[in-house]
Amino acid sequence: MMPNALRLRNVSKSFGTFKALDNVDFSVRAGEVHALLGENGAGKSTLMNIACGLYAPDEGHVEVDGEAVSMSDARDAANKGIGMVHQHFKLVPAFTVLENIVLFNPGRQAAEIASQAQDLAGKMGFDLDLSRRTGSLGIAEQQRLEILKVLVAGARFVILDEPTAVLSDQEARALMTIIRGLAASGSAVIMVTHKLHEALGHSDRITVMRGGKRIAETSPGEMDAAKLTTLIVGEQIVETPAPSAVIGKTRVRLSSVRVPGRSGRKGLEGIDFRVRGGEIYGVAGVAGNGQNELADVLMGTAEQTGGSIEFEGHGDISTLPPGGRRKAGFAAIPVDRYRHGLAGRRSVAENYAVNGVLSGSYGGWLRFNRGQARKQTQKAIQAFDVQGVRGTGMRAGLLSGGNAQKLVIAREFETMPEVVLAHSPSRGLDVRAGAAVHERLRAARDSGAAVILISEDLDEIFLLSDRIGVLSGGRMVAEFEAPANRNDVGKAMISHE
Amino acid sequence: MSSGNATEQITPLEGAGIRSETAPAPSRHKLRLVPLLEVRQNVPETQRLACYAASLAVAAAISFALLALSGVAPSDVMREIATVAFSSPRALGSVLAQTAPLVMAGLATAIAFRSNFWNIGLEGQMILGAIFASVVAIYDVGPEPARLVLMAVAAMAGGMLWVSVPAMLKQRLGVSEVITTLLLNYVAFNLLLHLLYGPWKDPVSSFPHTEQYEAFERLPLLGWLNLTWTLPLAALLAGLLWWLLSYSRIGYLLDMTSSNREMARAVGVPVAGLTVAAILASGAVGGLTGFSIAAGVEFRMTQDFFAGYLFSGVLIAFLGRNHPAGVVIVAFFMAILLLVGQSLQIFFQVPSALVQLVQAIFIICVAASEFFLTYRMHWRAAT
Repeated sequence: MMPNALRLRNVSKSFGTFKALDNVDFSVRAGEVHALLGENGAGKSTLMNIACGLYAPDEGHVEVDGEAVSMSDARDAANKGIGMVHQHFKLVPAFTVLENIVLFNPGRQAAEIASQAQDLAGKMGFDLDLSRRTGSLGIAEQQRLEILKVLVAGARFVILDEPTAVLSDQEARALMTIIRGLAASGSAVIMVTHKLHEALGHSDRITVMRGGKRIAETSPGEMDAAKLTTLIVGEQIVETPAPSAVIGKTRVRLSSVRVPGRSGRKGLEGIDFRVRGGEIYGVAGVAGNGQNELADVLMGTAEQTGGSIEFEGHGDISTLPPGGRRKAGFAAIPVDRYRHGLAGRRSVAENYAVNGVLSGSYGGWLRFNRGQARKQTQKAIQAFDVQGVRGTGMRAGLLSGGNAQKLVIAREFETMPEVVLAHSPSRGLDVRAGAAVHERLRAARDSGAAVILISEDLDEIFLLSDRIGVLSGGRMVAEFEAPANRNDVGKAMISHE
Repeated sequence: MSSGNATEQITPLEGAGIRSETAPAPSRHKLRLVPLLEVRQNVPETQRLACYAASLAVAAAISFALLALSGVAPSDVMREIATVAFSSPRALGSVLAQTAPLVMAGLATAIAFRSNFWNIGLEGQMILGAIFASVVAIYDVGPEPARLVLMAVAAMAGGMLWVSVPAMLKQRLGVSEVITTLLLNYVAFNLLLHLLYGPWKDPVSSFPHTEQYEAFERLPLLGWLNLTWTLPLAALLAGLLWWLLSYSRIGYLLDMTSSNREMARAVGVPVAGLTVAAILASGAVGGLTGFSIAAGVEFRMTQDFFAGYLFSGVLIAFLGRNHPAGVVIVAFFMAILLLVGQSLQIFFQVPSALVQLVQAIFIICVAASEFFLTYRMHWRAAT
């Protein structure tokens, strides 16, 4: 009997003919942080969904404190002390903080929950006002609410799925402190992550999964980033900066561009910068300083209230709708590929075909040549190495993050674009998929395109950019030529707040 | 429900509340099966069809049982179905005559639903269509040979006008079309009553319906099974919409727009124009439905020519999965159901509510089958 431990014993799980988990063993003990690493589609999420009662294993079982249990839903799991904080938060925006906690803990008095939540929040160092509307909370605060929610429900085993994917560097560091605090007070924490340094710096044990199998269970002391990468992808991937060889004329120039902010946030307050052909212009900055507005105004989906966007050969394109910009040679890799990049309920072919349809490659207004679209899609998914496509009729929403991103890129790079907007293009992707995305951006640049890379990940900015602009408070506050000093850029990011 | 096992309830958190030192008491094993629901990753087409067929079978079984409880033996029901639908060419003719307006009602609803516009104002649009057509007929607008075509065009304009108000309110102000289209039905109905009890009252009989349309203002007979041109009109519309929705750029872009509006806009799809066009098309077909009943069945505008088509339209669109071919098939069976219902009412004195109940049972069963397509169930013993 192992007290205070959660164990998944020899768990297997298939979806149709696809074996998502193959005889996986995994355990976590009270007081430890166990990092679960692996590429997209390695089976991490499936494993955790079994741990928290959302899936039933085909073989094997879940043990709590040494005893086999079976759970029929998340509520059952909560009763057994297992709580999961999902990557996409499960909160009702219109509810107050307290109401969301009460919703998760049915059958208990609100007053009792309030005092317990207050007490726990104090112990954890959360500064959360229970009467605030959840929708008005920042991302990091919502995450704390999620954690608080499962703790109030009595979670002794806390599973965090990609907890830092949506956080800024600073917020992520604060979260790591919280996670250590949780473990120190006796909880068992499972942290599902892509990020090697989080596993190496903040966990006690590391489990690596690949292709539905457990590849290794190890400890941070025995590992370094290179060894871990090799375990995760089965080969070594090291990305190195490759500066542009030929920088051309100015392609795009933004002058005093203004976009009103939404829901109380600052928008763009007069932004100026230019991007030349053959260069990657990196836009660095702390999240929420105008990145979304900048991306939208470049794609043509934002309400631009001032300034001009000059595009070589086309004049001011401020009033040109998204379709017109794309015809002129704009391509975009949006930040949320499931929201702005793909229609998840439509097929892979339909998602790929949209450019061709609009330009008339598959017939006029009264015609849509599906067969031709499927053929083109088949070619593109091979050329761009989109994996996991079980047929061009498969719903795009079923693709994993990396492959969904590759599909977006295949579509956007169908004809070589002149201007590429890439907004956090490797967010949520594993090392290999991220490297593939970066390779595509470099190739576009090398063929003469002007690439605008908006990213909150400084590593990505430094790896790719030929020039770096710093976005703060809706303005471009500083500009650096590569190779830039990381400290200087970091200072510029926060000094203007 | 959670496990009915009080001993395994959450142990109250102590102090910091993170953990309780006492391990939970061992659970008492009870033999109880509980379902675990998993979201399905994909559903093969055969499974979808099988699930659909099973739900129809269940609905039929429940319906037969209910009719049996009301004193109609299953054998009687089967005989009624055979008699009403297939006993003679004439019987088939009346089924097809009933099918045609149902197809149009289903199509009108399906176009709107496919573009995520929940148009439940079909009856209002039918009324406006018939009113516009009647204006043309009553005030003798245009030359006689072109009268019928003018009436049809006017009917489409009327339906479009009526649906354009909710469309505009939704696009400009974000007002829910469910409320506006529904309430405009009542406005249209009162407008109809005003006309029928006022200026358009039949001068011959003084009854609250319009004067009869002239012969050239009626949809002519086909010369087959006593059917009018309503049937080819409905078939033409179904074919046209099938093509547009499934094999044209318009249908493709509409599907992309309705499944992810933001993405469609970002890649250059003219989302606003497409949505408005689809909504107006829905209103136009709604207006034509009203016209085809007024000019093809009643030969005048009555107080209740539209009654029941809203519900039938929603039902047919839903069961037909908003696909024109599906709409045609479901409308055909719905017509049989309506006619069988009528004869059951006459010969077996079953209440009309029972016929509606049978319709509702079919809807619920098919809707429930969606659940089994979305989730896979695992039955396992609870601990």
